[in-house]
Amino acid sequence: MKLRVTEIQRFCMHDGPGIRTTVFLKGCPLRCAWCHNPETQKLKSELIFYPNKCIGCAACKTSCGNGVHVWSETHLIDRVACISCGNCVENCPTSALEICGSEYTVKDVLSIVEKDRVFYSEGGGVTLSGGEPFVQGDSVIELLRACKEAGLSTAVETCGYADPCVLREAVKFVDLFLWDIKDTDDKRHKQYTGVSNKKILENLSVINELGARIRLRCILVNGVNTDKTHYKELAVIAKKINNFDRLELIPYHAYGGTKSVFLGFADSGRVEWIPTEQQIQEAKMILRSEGVNVI
Amino acid sequence: MKFYTQNGGKRPIRLSKQTRQFAYESLERKYGLDTLKTNSISLDNNENYSAFSALEKYDIAILKIAEEAPIRVCEGEKISGAATLGFAIKHAVPATYNGTPVCSSISHLTVDFETVLKEGVNSIKIKAEEAYEKYRTTEKEAFSKSCLNCIRAFEIWHRRYLDALRDLSEYKANYENLTHVPFEPAKSFYEAVQSLWFTFAFIRLCGNWPGIGRIDYLLGDYLKKDLENGTLSLNEAREILAHFFIKGCEWVNGQFIGSGDAQHYQNIVLAGIDENGIEVTNEVTYLVLDILEELGISDFPTTVRLNKNTDEKLLRRVAEVMRFGGGMLAIYNEDLIIEALVKDGYSEREARKFANDGCWEVQIPGKTFFAYYPFDALQLLQKKTLSCYAEGVDFPDFEALYSAYTSDLHAQVEEFRVKQSVKFVTDGTHNGTWIWKPQPPCTVISLFERDCIEKGLSYSEGGPVYNLISPHIGGLSDVVNSLYAIKKLVYEEKRLTLPELLRILKHNWEGEEALRQFALNRYVYYGNDNDEVDAIASRLLSDFADACASLRGRSGYAFPGGVSTFGRQLEWSSTRLAAPHGRRMGEVLAANASPTPGTDREGATAIIRSYCKADLSKLATGAALDLKLLPSSVAGEDGIQALVALMRGFVSLGGFFMQPDVVDAALLREAQAHPENYQTLSVRVSGWNARFVTLNKEWQDMVIEQNEH
Repeated sequence: MKLRVTEIQRFCMHDGPGIRTTVFLKGCPLRCAWCHNPETQKLKSELIFYPNKCIGCAACKTSCGNGVHVWSETHLIDRVACISCGNCVENCPTSALEICGSEYTVKDVLSIVEKDRVFYSEGGGVTLSGGEPFVQGDSVIELLRACKEAGLSTAVETCGYADPCVLREAVKFVDLFLWDIKDTDDKRHKQYTGVSNKKILENLSVINELGARIRLRCILVNGVNTDKTHYKELAVIAKKINNFDRLELIPYHAYGGTKSVFLGFADSGRVEWIPTEQQIQEAKMILRSEGVNVI
Repeated sequence: MKFYTQNGGKRPIRLSKQTRQFAYESLERKYGLDTLKTNSISLDNNENYSAFSALEKYDIAILKIAEEAPIRVCEGEKISGAATLGFAIKHAVPATYNGTPVCSSISHLTVDFETVLKEGVNSIKIKAEEAYEKYRTTEKEAFSKSCLNCIRAFEIWHRRYLDALRDLSEYKANYENLTHVPFEPAKSFYEAVQSLWFTFAFIRLCGNWPGIGRIDYLLGDYLKKDLENGTLSLNEAREILAHFFIKGCEWVNGQFIGSGDAQHYQNIVLAGIDENGIEVTNEVTYLVLDILEELGISDFPTTVRLNKNTDEKLLRRVAEVMRFGGGMLAIYNEDLIIEALVKDGYSEREARKFANDGCWEVQIPGKTFFAYYPFDALQLLQKKTLSCYAEGVDFPDFEALYSAYTSDLHAQVEEFRVKQSVKFVTDGTHNGTWIWKPQPPCTVISLFERDCIEKGLSYSEGGPVYNLISPHIGGLSDVVNSLYAIKKLVYEEKRLTLPELLRILKHNWEGEEALRQFALNRYVYYGNDNDEVDAIASRLLSDFADACASLRGRSGYAFPGGVSTFGRQLEWSSTRLAAPHGRRMGEVLAANASPTPGTDREGATAIIRSYCKADLSKLATGAALDLKLLPSSVAGEDGIQALVALMRGFVSLGGFFMQPDVVDAALLREAQAHPENYQTLSVRVSGWNARFVTLNKEWQDMVIEQNEH
């Protein structure tokens, strides 16, 4: 069973307790307008191109059988013709080209995760993120099981839009869910993520009933969900969780937009969406006044 | 009053307003500038000066310094004594004849403060008197007499402080304490702190820069007793100890722009086991951490000795203080260091006493002569093994290249032995004992180094119990990465031949940008936990240690190896050639045992793992790993957990010495543009901290560069 992974990042400090190794998995059922990791949306592997690293040596052109790399003043990429074979990546001297989404076995992932085992004291361990890890349901369950068998602490960052059967199974192997609530207003949720939040909230009750430890992660997008009603709704949700860890506010940043450019799309970053320090403090204050432990 | 932080965190307040004010003024250079007002004592009026021997000249100088150096009593100070002569800040005995300093001074050691505190300077005086009796009419008489002269100078200086303080009611406690210490044994914590400071100040007054060593080990029992007897509260103890740290800033003057103004090798060591294997950590340990946390004083770079059993409470406290940045705290893994010292021939009990030379090089305090020979291992490869990339240089395979390099390494280390052999009499030894030729005088230091007085030999002439000269390999990761790039490009992937590569390097990669980029980007270099390249580092360090060990018994010195650059990567950058790992001429490359800037892509844990793969127990002096962390990485409770986990990992993987620093490159750029607003901001440079604004532009850029990856 294979996993499609975009990146395995060591020494992560913001994906759960302690020092963690975060496995970014490819594929997501949501299409959030503010996506921070656009390279993880599609399940299939993709070619990434960093124009700032390109020195125009054309080694890619020479090595490509499909005519993907074209020069017309600048280096252009024919995304339709590209089959993500990786030949150009092998020959690019500057690493300006990358295949995002290589296949890993559970064993491959574990061998990387194991490297930092000595640093996993103080509650550290492995975090699965993405993308939406549960898109690769069976493989992800197998990976989680293997991690637990190896005695590693596990966390999964999920948008919650997943098959409830997979989630029920996952609860057995996940020490901490990092559960995203993008918006409590369903109309806006549909508008900005492409799906309703109903299934996400139902799934949250499912794992809550099973006793899962849950940390809520809530993105803050200026002008979209920076309203008091949303914060109060978040507090209602948080307070229903039996094994509640804390709520983390994730201020929107525009770097995700730059990443879309590397994938061949327009820059989707919107500076006006970055919340102000005042908005962040207000959100924290309201949540705290509702009795929610918020970071 | 604002004491800088790198993470914007709020420093806690525990000290009194007066003490904080004292600290602030000291850091703002009040006393440092005062020290510069009198640079030295003139010996010009001394008739027949030229006729005296070097040792006699030294004694005259020390005596005159003691008699004439300005006395300084700072407003509200709880302990007294001050090193008030400017040339001492420049590392010279601050006495001049016709404008020239009479003698150089000593640093890179931690003296025997334990004897001063527990037995008093009078015990040293008795030893000196006995030695003088013994050596009268022998060739050692002059040195023995110099010992007595220097003690007399110390007494005179002490008497002058008593006279100055006697009638000042505000300084009654200072006066009372000084009526006993440092000549008599300290009886209380307050006396002990005064004794330690006064002796330290006198040694520094005479131009020397000693380290402090294990301050919690030295002072812990005194505090324990006072707390039990109820004669002192913890808050009072903190105030007293804070004044020790504040007075240690009396040379801060912001005037010597270059490699910083804070490098007087006055390092402190905390925690760890004592000679019986019992953990030392005590209330003093925590008071020191409180003071560092509150005042951000970086002038006593402090290293905490950790082991596998270090208490969680201490680790968390260290992490909390570390987070404010400024590089005030570094860590030793004493499990490995004690193992290294035992391997190097020390008894286990002796090894457990280790502190450092005032920087981070490990030594047994009060017993060790220490010096080091730095060399650039990268230039050794470029200029010797590869003959400055001359035509015709070739090796059939990687092993042939590597073994040519290690034999050059052996020759380099051997050269150090030969270089210092001039210090010994012609046949070197007498009945198996090495005999030094006369060296420049250093009696003040010799008083506080075990065995010098009894042996009748100075610190520099074989007096101490251990005499070390440590060859320091620099440019480690760059030579490793160079070798690795050659191995891949030439011998494994056969992209070009060695002569072809060398020709390209000789022309600084001109016209070969694609190849340079390939070498730069397509290989995973040291610091990323890549076994293949890390194996070269481990092997090289092991071979270097063996080269050092091969000198054993062939000199009056032992030659334990170490890894350092101490910022020399800056001066080396102009003389290095282009390097095979994609580096052009003139680039500032790696510091200490840290990765080449820009090559570490896997983060802190991978850096530590790469570094720890080598058997560092073969390097008894040490190998320094710098670790730069972003404030955001160590924020909140999560950040404390992360730092604790990093330290625990470092210990269990077998690291030696690590200097983590929390640095925000953007903040440093701001300080570079507006130095006036950042007078107290400090950064870790190597074994020392520097106030950032006192670094010159090149150094500042290097520090920023190291933090932007």
